[in-house]
Amino acid sequence: MSSESSKKRKPKVIRSDGAPAEGKRTRSDTEQEGKCYSEEAEVDLRDPGRDYELYKYTCQELQRLMAEIQDLKSRGGKDAAVEIEDRRIQSCVHFMTLKKLNRLAHIRLKKGRDQTHEAKQKVDAYHLQLQNLLYEVMHLQKEITKCLEFKSKHEEIDLVSLEEFYKEAPPDISKAEVTMGDPHQQTLARLDWELEQRKRLAEKYRECLSNKEKILKEIEVKKEYLSSLQPRLNSIMQASLPVQEYLFMPFDQAHKQYETARHLPPPLYVLFVQATAYGQACAHRKSSQPPRQDKMLSVAIEGSVDEAKALFKPPEDSQDDESDSDAEEEQTTKRRRPTLGVQLDDKRKEMLKRHPLSVLLDLKCKDDSVLHLTFYYLMNLNIMTVKAKVTTATELITPISAGDLLSPDSVLSCLYPGDHGKKTPNPANQYQFDKVGILTLRDYVLDLGHPYLWVQKLGGLHFPKEQPQHTVITDHSLSASHMETTMKLLKTRVQSRLALHKQFASLEHGIVPVTSDCHYLFPAKVVSRLVKWVTIAHEDYTELHFTKDIVEAGLAGDTNLYYMALVERGTAKLQAAVVLNPGYSSIPPIFQLCLNWKGEKTNNNDDNIRAMESEVNVCFKELCGPRPGHQLLTNQLQRLCVLLDVYLETESHDDSVEGPKEFPQEKMCLRLFRGPSRMKPFKYNHPQGFFSHR
Amino acid sequence: MERAAQQAVPLGQMEVFQALQRLHMTIFSQSVSPCGKFLAAGNNYGQIAIFSLSAALSSEAKEESKKPMVTFQAHDGPVYSMVSTDRHLLSAGDGEVKAWLWAEILKKGCKELWRRQPPYRTSLEVPEINALLLVPKENLLILAGGDCQLHAMDLETGTFMWALRGHTDYIHCLALRERSPEVLSGGEDGAVRLWDLRTAKEVQTIEVYKHEECSRPHNGRWIGCLATDSDWMVCGGGPALTLWHLRSSTPTTIFPMRAPQKHVTFYQDLILSAGQGRCVNQWQLSGELKAQVPGSSPGLLSLSLNQQPAAPECKVLTAAGNSCRVDVFTNLGYRAFSLSF
Repeated sequence: MSSESSKKRKPKVIRSDGAPAEGKRTRSDTEQEGKCYSEEAEVDLRDPGRDYELYKYTCQELQRLMAEIQDLKSRGGKDAAVEIEDRRIQSCVHFMTLKKLNRLAHIRLKKGRDQTHEAKQKVDAYHLQLQNLLYEVMHLQKEITKCLEFKSKHEEIDLVSLEEFYKEAPPDISKAEVTMGDPHQQTLARLDWELEQRKRLAEKYRECLSNKEKILKEIEVKKEYLSSLQPRLNSIMQASLPVQEYLFMPFDQAHKQYETARHLPPPLYVLFVQATAYGQACAHRKSSQPPRQDKMLSVAIEGSVDEAKALFKPPEDSQDDESDSDAEEEQTTKRRRPTLGVQLDDKRKEMLKRHPLSVLLDLKCKDDSVLHLTFYYLMNLNIMTVKAKVTTATELITPISAGDLLSPDSVLSCLYPGDHGKKTPNPANQYQFDKVGILTLRDYVLDLGHPYLWVQKLGGLHFPKEQPQHTVITDHSLSASHMETTMKLLKTRVQSRLALHKQFASLEHGIVPVTSDCHYLFPAKVVSRLVKWVTIAHEDYTELHFTKDIVEAGLAGDTNLYYMALVERGTAKLQAAVVLNPGYSSIPPIFQLCLNWKGEKTNNNDDNIRAMESEVNVCFKELCGPRPGHQLLTNQLQRLCVLLDVYLETESHDDSVEGPKEFPQEKMCLRLFRGPSRMKPFKYNHPQGFFSHR
Repeated sequence: MERAAQQAVPLGQMEVFQALQRLHMTIFSQSVSPCGKFLAAGNNYGQIAIFSLSAALSSEAKEESKKPMVTFQAHDGPVYSMVSTDRHLLSAGDGEVKAWLWAEILKKGCKELWRRQPPYRTSLEVPEINALLLVPKENLLILAGGDCQLHAMDLETGTFMWALRGHTDYIHCLALRERSPEVLSGGEDGAVRLWDLRTAKEVQTIEVYKHEECSRPHNGRWIGCLATDSDWMVCGGGPALTLWHLRSSTPTTIFPMRAPQKHVTFYQDLILSAGQGRCVNQWQLSGELKAQVPGSSPGLLSLSLNQQPAAPECKVLTAAGNSCRVDVFTNLGYRAFSLSF
């Protein structure tokens, strides 16, 4: 221990020497530093822990020496002073050691501080660097997002779809092997292709423009040529007029007709225009088909143009016809003063006066029969009337029962439901009639023609019905909307009437003219025969005892035609009263039956008679045959014969009566009766040929 | 062109067709709802119309209340028979029986609940079902008609349990003998057969046409209607309307009615019958004609007595047949009004 301490002392001494020599450092730096380094180097060599031990030990020594000195001093004595001196020296040494240690500590502290400072500076530098880097990162990120957000112009361009691109673009642009996997290259290639295409289109556009320019120029030239042609043509036309007249060229006629049409009263004019238009439209439609002999609808104007012109001569407004005529009336009465009766008669005549011009419409049907319609305009009543006539291609032998079928009076009756054309459609007329004592227009219809509602509509006249609707004005659209429907109805009507006409001719001779395409509806063998087909009057029909139901149901109006058929088989006689609606064949003829066989049987006392009626009346649709079903009546009558056969043959045999049955069962039936009302098997099944229940 | 052609059909066509349909309508069957306030009627076009009896009978009844509150197409063929259970309306026509929920019908949502077809032998024509009969005790529905058999259907499961064979022609009508569970059936072959429900065997046959008193050969043999009150049975059709004592199977009373009868029923101490002719006939058991009440149809096919205790105000007799009208008799004396399709 002591050796150690002594070892230490030497440097301490040197050091203590050095310490006061600090002021001289500036004088000889190298020498001084050499010493300083040695001391500082010593610090590095020494272990701080041992120094601490040394320090503790030194302090204990010092305390012990102090305590001994204290002890010696308190004891006193002479030799004490020496000892104290000795002790003091020892303590001085210790102090030196402490000082040394203190210095070392200071150096260490300084060194530590330096180190800390150094580290801190390093950290600061690193921190700064970090900050710089972070900033740089942020900046770069911003740049990246900016790049990512960059919208290229090409995205707005509509490119052709991929498949199309690969299909159409030439391989040097599409470069499929490069671009297939690389969308960037692909887009570039597509853009290239787009550019290429656009270039081409632009080229085309330019070409077209120049073309257009060229054509415009040509047009200009031609226009000039044409305008120079006009006067020449005019002169040619002027020159050709006499030739036209000579040759009856239609151009002239049509022109004239239009000329005449100007003098038509407004409703007839509307009719004329619409009918002509419709006729032309139909002709055009037909023109695609093999050429037809001529037009389906032809329109003409009849009457004296001069008279029509004369009507317009007076300055009074032609619309004010009534007051106009009234004024005339007054004049005439003043002049002639006729008797009251004659005067009234004249007034009536004046009231019912027709416009001098009328429109003639010829509607041609497929079988060359023609419906001639003449349209009149009653000026003072402001209504239109029509007269109809049917001419056929071949001469018809008119059966007696068909008298009314084609008569001008009834051929067009109820073209639309309830439109029987016996009443004036203009409600204002009633007041006019009251004035001159006309009860109803019905009495004059034969002479004037029928004022059907559809005629008014064709002429564009619309009259209010019950509730106020429109004022009476001539309206092209009204006429146009009705033209096609009405023409179709007219054609159907004529055809159905002609078909009926033909059927009646056979029926009157007891032949039911079933056509070959309807044979499947009936069995081959029909025993019941039609023996009579006659027309009967409406009153007679209503008086029949078995037609009450029909009359009560309101199905027997006076516009219908009525017939009586008689079907016979053996002793059985079946009367059938037939109502033929003018709307045949869309509205079926209605049959009421009365069987005279073993007593009188009607629908009142026999369910099967009722069933037979419903077979022909309600199930008529299956009897219509091929479109348009004009064979319905014939088929119904034939069906009736079949029904009668079935009825008679299936009638249960009365065991109590001797002898064979009058009507042996020949028809094949699955069952004789069915259901609570014991229906007979009336339904015929075509290919198998048996009868079953409906 | 197509459109114009459609326009060309005059409006009158529909109306005429409807008028004709109404004119040739036959109402085959009726059934009163379990609540007693509604009457279902089925016609030859397969439609079922529901009339509100309570509305038509109320003091402020208008014309509309005599029209059906709802009409729906139930079958393809005629609706020959209908019965009501406490929840369902069962209707039958051409070969099938269909069930409808009364509650839904009254809400006008007419969807069939189920349909069943009895096991028929194959034939060209589907046999019709002329009569339905409920056996409430065993929850059975008995169907009979064109195939000459009685089919029993369990209403619980909807399965056909057994069929009774014996008739040689189709069956017109059924009646239930409640005291001893026996079913009577009358058919076109002229026989009334009694069937024991427990053994499913025929126990008795009455061949009505063989009895001279009631046979009318010119009208045929068929039995069109029958009714029973256990001891007595009344039946009619081709043969005259006759009251039979069942145990001795002898005819006791022949009712003097020329026209074939299509419906007969016991009511209190009377027998009500209807058939060809406008009238509902009321008979004493002794054979006296008590009254003939004329209706509006030329021939009647069904009578329905509404005796539901739930609706005492609707206790009426309704009769329907060869017209589109259902006559309503508030008492047995006269026709009050007609309900109409």
